[in-house]
Amino acid sequence: MSAETDLLKVSGLTLDYATVDGRVRVLENVSAQINKGEIVGVVGESGSGKTTLGLSIISLLDSPPADIIGGSIIFEQKDLLKSNPTELSRIRGPGIGMVFQESLAALNPVYRTDTQLKESIDVLQRAQSLSLSDKAEKEMMVQILSDLRLDRPEWVLKKYPHELSGGMRQRVSIAMAIVERPKLLILDEVTTGLDVYVQNRILNILKDLNRRTGTAMMFITHDLLVASQICDRLYVMYAGRVMEEGKTEHILNSPSHPYTQKLFAAIPQGFVDAPPLPAPRGEAPDLRKLPPGCKFNPRCPLAMKKCAEVEPPVFETEQGSKVLCWLLEKP
Amino acid sequence: MTNIVEVNNLTVSFIVRGGNLLLFERGGGMTDVVNDVSFNVSEGETFGLAGETGSGKSVIAWALVGLMKPRSGSIRVLGKEIDFRKKADVTYLRRNIGIVFQDPVGSLNPRLRVKDIIREGLVAAKTFDRREYDKRIAEVVDLVGLRKSSLEAYPRELSGGEKQRVSLARAIVVPRKMVVLDEPTSSLDVSVQAQVLNTLKELKSKLNLSYFFITHDINVMKYMSDSLGILYYGKLLEVGRTYDVVTNPKHPFTMRLMSNVPGLKRTKIQAQEERLTEQGSSATGCVYCKICPRVFEKCSNSPPMINVGSGHQAACFLYENVS
Repeated sequence: MSAETDLLKVSGLTLDYATVDGRVRVLENVSAQINKGEIVGVVGESGSGKTTLGLSIISLLDSPPADIIGGSIIFEQKDLLKSNPTELSRIRGPGIGMVFQESLAALNPVYRTDTQLKESIDVLQRAQSLSLSDKAEKEMMVQILSDLRLDRPEWVLKKYPHELSGGMRQRVSIAMAIVERPKLLILDEVTTGLDVYVQNRILNILKDLNRRTGTAMMFITHDLLVASQICDRLYVMYAGRVMEEGKTEHILNSPSHPYTQKLFAAIPQGFVDAPPLPAPRGEAPDLRKLPPGCKFNPRCPLAMKKCAEVEPPVFETEQGSKVLCWLLEKP
Repeated sequence: MTNIVEVNNLTVSFIVRGGNLLLFERGGGMTDVVNDVSFNVSEGETFGLAGETGSGKSVIAWALVGLMKPRSGSIRVLGKEIDFRKKADVTYLRRNIGIVFQDPVGSLNPRLRVKDIIREGLVAAKTFDRREYDKRIAEVVDLVGLRKSSLEAYPRELSGGEKQRVSLARAIVVPRKMVVLDEPTSSLDVSVQAQVLNTLKELKSKLNLSYFFITHDINVMKYMSDSLGILYYGKLLEVGRTYDVVTNPKHPFTMRLMSNVPGLKRTKIQAQEERLTEQGSSATGCVYCKICPRVFEKCSNSPPMINVGSGHQAACFLYENVS
C-alpha cells in the first residue's frame, strides 16, 4: 500500500497489562492497517484483545496497567506512541473518534443530549478555530441527528440518556463522535445487545456515512455475521494475535485458519432437526497460561505435533489472506 | 401430543406512576406489558418466543414460574389451572417448571459454592431424601457437562458458559417437565454458545424436557425451537411451527424481522434509503399500526388471531377474508 492511501498502520504492536498477579501479554505482534475510506472489521471472542487494540490506537489506555513493549502506531505519518499528550488530544476527536460499547455508560447521565453534543462541537470549534453561534450549533445538532435517521431530533435533544431507547442512545454516541468529523472512527461493539432490526439500521447508517463522507472505520465486534455485512476487510483475533487477515468475501467463502472455520461453524444455521453444532472444544484461553506453540492448538481439530511446539509465522494464501497457521506452510 | 403448559389470554400489568414507561406516554395507572397472550407448549418440544427489547418476553417467563402474577387469563400446567393466590398452586407450578435467567452473574449467589447453589434447588423442592442430595447433585453436574472439580468452586471462578451450566443444573436437579430459558446464551461467545446449545438439545431428548426459549437472535431461535411466537409490545403477533413462521411469515412485523436476519449467505449490506419512522406502539387498535407499511382503516381496531395455515396464526386484518 502506498503512503497516500494509508490512514493508519499498526506494526508489531506488543502490549502487556501489569496486574497484581503479574504481567499478562494482551497483544502480541499485532499488525493492522486501515486505508482511507475503508471499513475494517476486528472480530474475535472475549479476551482476544479487540478492545485493547482499539483503545491503544486512540491512546486511551491507562498506563499503568498498560505497558507497550514494542511496535508502532502510525496515523497520518505520525507515530502516536511517540506523541506527547497535547498532540494526542488534538488527534483525538477530529483525527480519531471512538464509539464505546456501552452507550448508557458512555453518555453522562445528568446531561441532556444537546449538552453532550455541545461538548463535541466545542472540540471541533477549538480544532478548526471556528466560533459558531448558538443557533448554528443547534442546527448542526439537528442535522447530525437527522442524518442518523432519528425521527424527532428536537425531541431527542431535550432528553436524558435514560429516557432514550438503546438504539437511540447508540446513535447519540455515534453522533458525538462523528460531529467532530474524524478521519477514522473506531466502533467498539456498537450493535451488541440491540435487536436485529435496530442493528441493521445502525449498520445501514454507518455504511451510508462511510459512502458520503469517506470516514474510515474500524469495526470491533464478536459477531462474524455482523462484521461480514459491513466490512471490506477482516482481522480475526485470538489470544492477542491476529490469526487471519483478508478480504471479507475470501474469509467468508473460504476461511483458512481452523479457528475462523470453527467460528463460522458455531453460528447456528438450519432448523430444530439440524445436527449438533461443531463447536470448538474448550473456552477462550487464559492469557496468563497460554500454551506453547500455536495458541489455538489445544482446541484445534487439525493440530499437528509442530503446532504445540513452535508458534507459526504469517503465511500468505493465494487469495492474499495472511494466516497464522502451520497448515499453510508450503512443503 | 399432550400440552405441558397452556397459556390462555394472559395479561400482566405494571403499575405506572406519572406515565412514560419507555415509549408508552400515558398518565399513571396500569400498563399491560403482556396483553392477551395465548400459546401452548407440548411435551418434549421447544416453544420459542422472539421479540425486541422491552416487548415483554421476560415478563411472560416470570409469570410462568410464578414470579409475576397475571392480572387476567389463565396458566394451566399439565391440565391443572394455577390459582396464583394459593401457595400450593404456585409450589406446584414451580415444581414442574424450572428457570435459567439471562444474566449468569446476577443469578448465582456469589457466596455459595457450586454444589450448594445446586443443592438449594433440592432443598426448595422437598421431594428428595436428604441422604440422596450428593448423589443427585453429582448426577446432574454430569448431565449438564460440568467438571466434578467445579463443585467446590465459587461462581466467580467459573467462565460464563460454566455459570450458565450451573444455572441449568439448578433448574433440572429436581426432575421438571419444562425449563424456561430466558436468553441463556446471549452473554456468551459464539463458540461457547454453540456448546451450550448442543447440551440443551441433548438434555431435551434425554430427559424428555420441554423448553420455553426466549431469545432475540433469530438464528438461535430457528435452530432451537419447534414452535415460535413473535411478541411485539406485549402482543403476540404471530404463532406457528418455526419452519412456517420463518420461511413464510405472515404478519408485516414478522416479515420485517425475518428480512433483517443476518445469514452466512447474505450479501453485503448496501446503504439503502429508509423511510420507516421511529418504532413505537399504538395504544388503540393494532400495536404495530403506527409503523406498519400495509396499514389500512381497519387497523384502528384490535385484530384477533386469524388462522393462516395449519397451526399458524397471525394477528393481522390482512388475512381476515383468506380463512
